Amino acid sequence: MNGYIAFVKKEFTENMKNYRFFILFAVFLIFGIMSAFLAKFTPEILSALAADMEMTSEPVALDAWKQFYKNISGVGFSAFIILYGSCLSGEYSKGTLVLMVTKGLSRKAVILAKYTVAAVLMTVCYWVSFTAAYGYTAFLWHDTDLFHVALAAFVLWLIGFLYLSILMLGCVIFKQTFTSILFTGGIVAVISLLGIIEPIAKLNPFILTSKNVDLLSGEVVPSDFIMPALFSIAVSILGLLIAIKLFNKKQL
Amino acid sequence: MNILTIRNLSKSFGRQKIINDLSMSVPEGSVFGFIGQNGAGKTTTMKMVLGLLKPDYGEIRVCNESVCFGQTKTNQYIGYLPDVPEFYNYMTPMQYLRLCGEVIAIPKSEVDRRGQELLSLVGLSGSAKQIGGFSRGMKQRLGIAQALLTQPKLLICDEPTSALDPVGRKEILDILRKISSTTTVLFSTHILSDVERICDHVAFLNEGKIAACGTLAEIKTLHGHDSLLLEFSEDKDLQLFKKQKSIEPLLLCSEENNRELILHSRNMESVQKFLFGVLAETGICPIKIELMEPSLESLFLEVVK
Repeated sequence: MNGYIAFVKKEFTENMKNYRFFILFAVFLIFGIMSAFLAKFTPEILSALAADMEMTSEPVALDAWKQFYKNISGVGFSAFIILYGSCLSGEYSKGTLVLMVTKGLSRKAVILAKYTVAAVLMTVCYWVSFTAAYGYTAFLWHDTDLFHVALAAFVLWLIGFLYLSILMLGCVIFKQTFTSILFTGGIVAVISLLGIIEPIAKLNPFILTSKNVDLLSGEVVPSDFIMPALFSIAVSILGLLIAIKLFNKKQL
Repeated sequence: MNILTIRNLSKSFGRQKIINDLSMSVPEGSVFGFIGQNGAGKTTTMKMVLGLLKPDYGEIRVCNESVCFGQTKTNQYIGYLPDVPEFYNYMTPMQYLRLCGEVIAIPKSEVDRRGQELLSLVGLSGSAKQIGGFSRGMKQRLGIAQALLTQPKLLICDEPTSALDPVGRKEILDILRKISSTTTVLFSTHILSDVERICDHVAFLNEGKIAACGTLAEIKTLHGHDSLLLEFSEDKDLQLFKKQKSIEPLLLCSEENNRELILHSRNMESVQKFLFGVLAETGICPIKIELMEPSLESLFLEVVK
């Protein structure tokens, strides 16, 4: 436990010192703010640029959330994975971890501390981004009749844990940053492809990142998310346990 | 009592056998030189002792406890200094030692006290600079400080002087000599002069096995042969001396350098008696006769050939 707490503190400091946290915070915050603004003003910008283009409909609050979910689930999480892909490879290549492990720091503590800090930072960035998007959407569209706004955000947040768990597994299996990121991307792609296989599609965690806007518009109901959410949590825990198991056997 | 015992250790990487049935013991209180060429398997052996690499076969015991791969229980007795120690660059030396202290659960006040002592021992006291700006020698010295923070019974240093300039090397050797009164030091190297300066026990690693092991004196007795240097004032004296029929057997094991002749033998006393007889008979007077002790280098070359 001592080792875990010490390493969590070290990880927090490191993420501040190497600006990883600030970069991610800025990316998520910009997406949070921009989603509402882009939805609102894109038609106006386009009409200004192309005078003969006619907009068929007025943008609505749902368009802002469409932008938000598209940006966060795509670029936001990708940025997180790319920046965190080096969380273990940097320590392998420099040899900094060897000194810690030979001091008696358990390997489990290393993985759990790195995961904890990544998850906390992801949570902070994500909900700050959500709050910004929510605030600006409410500011720009006063009368919104959207359903389950918080729940739609909550399910996407859950998938963030799954991505981090897969990334941690990749970082344990591979020594290079690039291969860890590629592994995560590959697994995420496989999960999304499994979404087209009908019997298991309803369980697929991919729903948590693809149906958020449908939840807001009332096309799907919250109960549709229960099984994918539980499945996502289970796979996240399993991934982390496998990562710990493999890391215990890794030659450093 | 032995602080470290290795029995029948083997390790391969792919098809290449790096360690092949290695057995050795490190006595408590010794400064143990673990000598081998580059790629001989010194680091591999040390990493297996630290539980960082999994042996294919064999047993390692530290302070009478078995070492298990992936676990770090026996590492509580060990301080480790890798060949190129790397730290978190954004920390100062004291911050790094505090992190180590938290990992091993030493109270903060105790870490601060020990940290100050150790930083002063290695000459880094008062350094508030971030480790990122440290030279290699400074990192090596901080490496010793962090390794000693746990007050280990065994300090394992992997080629601590290989990458350093002569000043840095001397500083590290002086620190190791200083701490050897309280800690057993296992010190891998291929720089033999370093071994002669601080080690009392040595083991030569060759082709994955221990080729010779013991105190320096034992190794010299068992494997070394003394040499006798004769220097002549003129080349013709040397040639005349060599032409003597009776010394032909001695010339089989000799070296010649300018006007010097070095004779090797395991029984130097009888060689000396014989030689003095020949010199008296022929009337040749060398300007210098010197009995040379076997150097570690010659021992090493003999052991690994």
